Amino acid sequence: MAIRIRIAAVVLAAGALLAVAAPPAGAQEKKPVRVWHTETEPQTIAVINQIIADFERARPDITVKAEALAWGDLERKLTAALAAGAPPEVSHGQAITCASFAAKGLLRPVDDLVEVLGRDNVIEGFRNLCRLDGRWYGVAHSAAASVFVYRKDLLAQKGLRPPRTWDELIQVADALKEVKDGQVVRWGLTLTGQPLFVNIQVGELLRSNGGRLFDPEGRPTLTEKPVLELLDFYKKLNTVLPPGWTGHSYLDTFANLANGKAAMLYQAYGRGTGYIEKYAAAELANPEHFAVTDKVVGPSGKAPFAQIDAEPWMVFKQARHANEAVEFLKFFYKDENYIRYLHTVPIHLLPVLKSTAANPKYGDQPGIRKWRSWIDMQEAYFKADRVRPTLVTEWDEMKRPYLLEVMGSGILVDMVLDAVKGMPSAEAAGKAQKRVEDLLVKGGYLKK
Amino acid sequence: MGSGLTSPRSRRRHHLRLPEAALGLLGLAPALLLIGALILYPVAYAAWLSLHDKHSFFPAERFVGLDNYREIARDEEFWDSLWRGTVYASATTALQLGFGLAAALVLHRSFHGRAAVRTLVLFPYMIPTIVAVIVWRWLLNDTFGIVDYLLVRWGVARQPVVWLSVDWIMTSLVAMSVWQFAPFVVLSVLARLQTIPPELYEAARVDGASAWGRFRHVTLPQLRAVLVVVVLLRGIWMFTKFDTVWLWGEGAGAGREIRTLPIYAYMRTFTYYQAGFGSALAVIMFLMLMAATAVYFRLFWREEEVT
Repeated sequence: MAIRIRIAAVVLAAGALLAVAAPPAGAQEKKPVRVWHTETEPQTIAVINQIIADFERARPDITVKAEALAWGDLERKLTAALAAGAPPEVSHGQAITCASFAAKGLLRPVDDLVEVLGRDNVIEGFRNLCRLDGRWYGVAHSAAASVFVYRKDLLAQKGLRPPRTWDELIQVADALKEVKDGQVVRWGLTLTGQPLFVNIQVGELLRSNGGRLFDPEGRPTLTEKPVLELLDFYKKLNTVLPPGWTGHSYLDTFANLANGKAAMLYQAYGRGTGYIEKYAAAELANPEHFAVTDKVVGPSGKAPFAQIDAEPWMVFKQARHANEAVEFLKFFYKDENYIRYLHTVPIHLLPVLKSTAANPKYGDQPGIRKWRSWIDMQEAYFKADRVRPTLVTEWDEMKRPYLLEVMGSGILVDMVLDAVKGMPSAEAAGKAQKRVEDLLVKGGYLKK
Repeated sequence: MGSGLTSPRSRRRHHLRLPEAALGLLGLAPALLLIGALILYPVAYAAWLSLHDKHSFFPAERFVGLDNYREIARDEEFWDSLWRGTVYASATTALQLGFGLAAALVLHRSFHGRAAVRTLVLFPYMIPTIVAVIVWRWLLNDTFGIVDYLLVRWGVARQPVVWLSVDWIMTSLVAMSVWQFAPFVVLSVLARLQTIPPELYEAARVDGASAWGRFRHVTLPQLRAVLVVVVLLRGIWMFTKFDTVWLWGEGAGAGREIRTLPIYAYMRTFTYYQAGFGSALAVIMFLMLMAATAVYFRLFWREEEVT
């Protein structure tokens, strides 16, 4: 009898516990949306978290979990997540990543998002970043163009004008080098050897030299004259860059520029103004000293080109709450949220929507007013259609689904390093050509 | 009650009794299950995958037999990464052994503050790899790192050395790895040193053996077994080392100079998206280590039999 009473008590207690723990009738379970992004600056993360908090207040049925990833890690982490069958709902990705994933059928189209933003409201230069067969698979969260930065005061002191061609760049860099007591105290030029950025350089420099990476049939063209000239140029660069530049990260090059250890930086971005303001002497930290100019043109090129740094938001088809992710993106692009986001890195995160660009609240920011010339330079490249995504020399190449594999393989970085280490350009290019061909054949993208 | 009488409950117990062998197997089952799930299955799956052309994140695969292996044999990158991995594993293992043995001998002696020094020496082995790598990359940075600052200030170098550049990245990686992993050797050797009977040293002294003689004829033979195991383990671990090497080369263009076999297998799988080829590389690495271990043990045992 006593045992029965005890059992009944336990059952009652368990029932009461379940009743307390269970959600009340009608209450919904929150739908989680995982967001991966590449904005690692603390002020940007803080604003993203604020936007998320506001969104969750507006949509109590959805919970958003954001994760900031280093730029160079993103593609590998996405691949691992896809391999595990657990991608996030939404993520940044390079334009070629987005195009590659879209071609592989991994993305949910975002035409519904674009309808809300207004198709014609997206700035023309940013419409081709991730479209396939007439459908949109990604919308850039912001846009930037790579810029060439130089110390205007140092060039003026030596009576030099900013270089316009590859040859002039070598000459000016050499002339700007300063030696004191047998030690180099200032290098003329600084450049990163970080693999992602070497891939970017190769695409950008090759386009500025009238070259391409693939022919219309999709076969690599690494043994063509513009590529060989590019590798010869790297050999020359190696003589004016700090020894060991291959070990310099993107941030190292900004440190070199900001603290006066280098006079020019070939591959800079608007984000760098933050480093200049933080690390350069206060009287120098302005665009009158750190000026931007056109990129340099190669011997076979006609016009300078820059890289467009504009990662589209991608929504994964496999994700459980893809529709809710799109709802979050609609909220993100509302001017009151979007402008807050853009202002966290004002010279680098430029709007992709015409309405935002025209909003007086957007332009009314001290950083934008101060570094206007940097923004003007980027906008000039956007308007003239002289920007291309990483490894893309012609917009048509966005249809090639294998650019992501080519970038990830590091073959182009190896090619540059081989040339820099002394291998004849033709040999380095031939070796890389064979490796890319093998990669494409194995991936089923190219016939032997 | 007499002993011949049994109650119904004890009879039931008698019927349920299992043979000893079955009981033993039952006891082993959890361990066997774990080994099967965590070791045998992944190895078998990798071997199966290596015979297929498999994209890293698409479910379809195509049987290609030994094609991946044939391709690997012709792949220049494979041979380069094998060479780099061998250089890295040999250099780090040899240096860990040298430094570890020397440090253990010093720490075995009695001196003031020995306990504190012993703790300090073990410290690098206790901190997470990511922390160790970040700290060392920071110390070795050519713009603001203390190492280059001191080298230039003391006149050892005219210009800061870029430790992550093509010319120096392997050297700096080896140095950092030795710093991080030598404490394992210290710990193993020190533990064995403390169990060597002091009478052996006394006898050697009576026989007139010098310090070197005592080390050579008493300490080293006593340490032999532990050194054999340490070399084997450290050799395997350094050859398959992924995290330290990956993090050291990450973000440096010169990372290619330290692209060892595990890194190459990872790249093939996750940046080339060739899971089949990557698995074939992993299987080759596994077989090479198995073969090296077998040869190593055979040599060691043969010597043991002779001595």
